[in-house]
Formats: sequence, C-alpha cells, structure tokens
Amino acid sequence: MDALLDFSQKSGIYDFMHSTWGWPAVETLHFMGLSLLIGTVGLFDLRMLGLAKGIPMNSLHRLVPWGVGGYALNVMTGVMFVTSAPDQYLFNPAFQVKLALMGIAGINVLLFYRFPFDRVRRADAEADAPRAAKVAAAISLCCWIGVIVCGRLITYYRPPYHWCFWC
Amino acid sequence: MDLLLWLEETAFSTWMRESGPAFFSTLVLHSVAMGFVVGVHVATNLRILGAAPRIPLSLMSRFFPVLWVNLVVVSLSGALLLVAYPTKALTNPVFYLKLTAVVAALFITRSFMKGVLQDPHTDAGRAGRRDRMLAALSLLLWAGAVTAGRLLAYTYNTLMASHLY
Repeated sequence: MDALLDFSQKSGIYDFMHSTWGWPAVETLHFMGLSLLIGTVGLFDLRMLGLAKGIPMNSLHRLVPWGVGGYALNVMTGVMFVTSAPDQYLFNPAFQVKLALMGIAGINVLLFYRFPFDRVRRADAEADAPRAAKVAAAISLCCWIGVIVCGRLITYYRPPYHWCFWC
Repeated sequence: MDLLLWLEETAFSTWMRESGPAFFSTLVLHSVAMGFVVGVHVATNLRILGAAPRIPLSLMSRFFPVLWVNLVVVSLSGALLLVAYPTKALTNPVFYLKLTAVVAALFITRSFMKGVLQDPHTDAGRAGRRDRMLAALSLLLWAGAVTAGRLLAYTYNTLMASHLY
C-alpha cells in the first residue's frame, strides 16, 4: 500500500487527483471508457447471444478495438484512483469483487479467442453463434455489468469499517 | 421552494435518502443503464462516422430495443434520485445542462432513425457529411451529459431545501 501511495505522490498523480477538479474529471473519463467498452464489446456479446441477427458478427467485431481503447483508458484512470487513496480500495469488498470479475473476464477473453472466435468470424450474417461463443458472451456481459455495479458500490463501502465477512 | 420542502419531507423521499440499499441500488441501476444508453449511441455514431464500415447501417437499429429499455431505466432511476434530493438537482444549473444534452442527443437519434439508419443507399461505407457532423455532435452531447452527470455530485449549492430555513 505504501508503494502505491509512493508511486502516486512521486509521479504527481496524487496532487492532481486531490486538486479541486482532479477526481471528478478522472471519474468522468472512467465513465466514458466504460461506455466505449459496453457499446462495442457489449453489443458484440449481445449479437452472439442472438440479438440483431443480420449484422455479421465479423463486421461488428471491427468495433472491438474501440472497446479495448476504453478498457485501456479505464485501467489508466483506475490506477490513478487506487494509488491516490489505496486504503479506500484495497480493503473494500466492492473493489475486491470488481478485480475478481475483471480476472474472470480476462480469462474468458483468452478462451474466446483461442476456441470459438474462428467460427464466429466466418459465420454468416444471419447465423446463430456457436454454443461456446454464446457461453463466452454471457460470461463477458455478466462480468462487465458486475464490474460497473461494483465500481459504483465502491463509494458505498467506506473502509476501514469492514463490512464483509472475509475482510 | 415550498414544493421542494414538501417533497423532501414526504415519507418516500426520506426513505430514498436514508435507506442505504434503496439509494445505492437506484444509483447502480442509473449508472449501468446509462452505460448501455451511451454505449449503443457510441457504436451507432462510430459506425455513421465510418468505423466498422461492413456493419449494414440499416440494421444498427436492431440494437435499439436495448437502448429503449435502458432509457426507461435511466429515466425512472433518475426520477427516484431526483425525489431523494430534489433541491440538490433543481437548484444546480449543471442538472439542466445534463437534461438539455440528453434531449438534444435523442433528437439527433430520432432524425437518424428517419434517415441514415433506414436508407439502403447508405448501408455500406461512410454516411454523408451532414450525418457525420450530427454523429460527432451526438458523441459530444453524450460526453457532455456524462460529464454533467458526474459533476452533479460535486457542484450542487444546496443539498436540501430545509437547509435554507
């Protein structure tokens, strides 16, 4: 935790985040990144689950790099939050669950590109996605929605008053 | 101001404020649904601007049921948050900026639905110059709405009408 604070203070992030508009500005960027992810990866997931058939999954996948950009933005802004007030995050059950869901989503991405993606890419516009792709899409949507829910709940829990049974 | 005072003293408003789970579940719903509302707009506008050109533009509206459902959730949860702290929002100019940005962006969406989103001539590739300008404007308006929404937590001048007495 000291190392995180140290990084934030030496890099100047800490001072920026604790300036008048630093925190709200970075929160706003964090929400924009989330919207990019939901609007691209989320819609690709929904198509694999059977919504908007007629749109080729391959063509929709071309939007995913924008979602990766949103994800990168959120990793950067997220690091700015966590290192500037580590005690509010590391001991926070909402943040811990959020990280766990991001981990599951990450493994899910790797498995998706390793296995069903090739068949998804070659599928017709009207085609149903393979079952494995549907499972991956459902896991992805649940994880990212869960990540947003946990992110919003971080402000509900105020460590060091530990609310959860494992803290 | 009397009306705001009355509203914030109703049992329901008090419960929304003071019951942690009621307030936070509303806040969570508002955030997630807003993510989808903005998300569908991001995808549609990026497509109109020329990204992912092989998505048939006329089929993009097949995602709009997701937009409408989430717009209803955003409106209802927004109304509940407003009932919880009516004075906080209604005395803050930023709140009206947010509403204006959302309404203006939805008008652009409506014009797209009558035009570029159902015109088979623009199905492939980039849309016309006017539509691209409107799509860029829509993205700016949503960015503005998100910014204003986040700033509502920081810019209010009066939390409760009762504090004025």
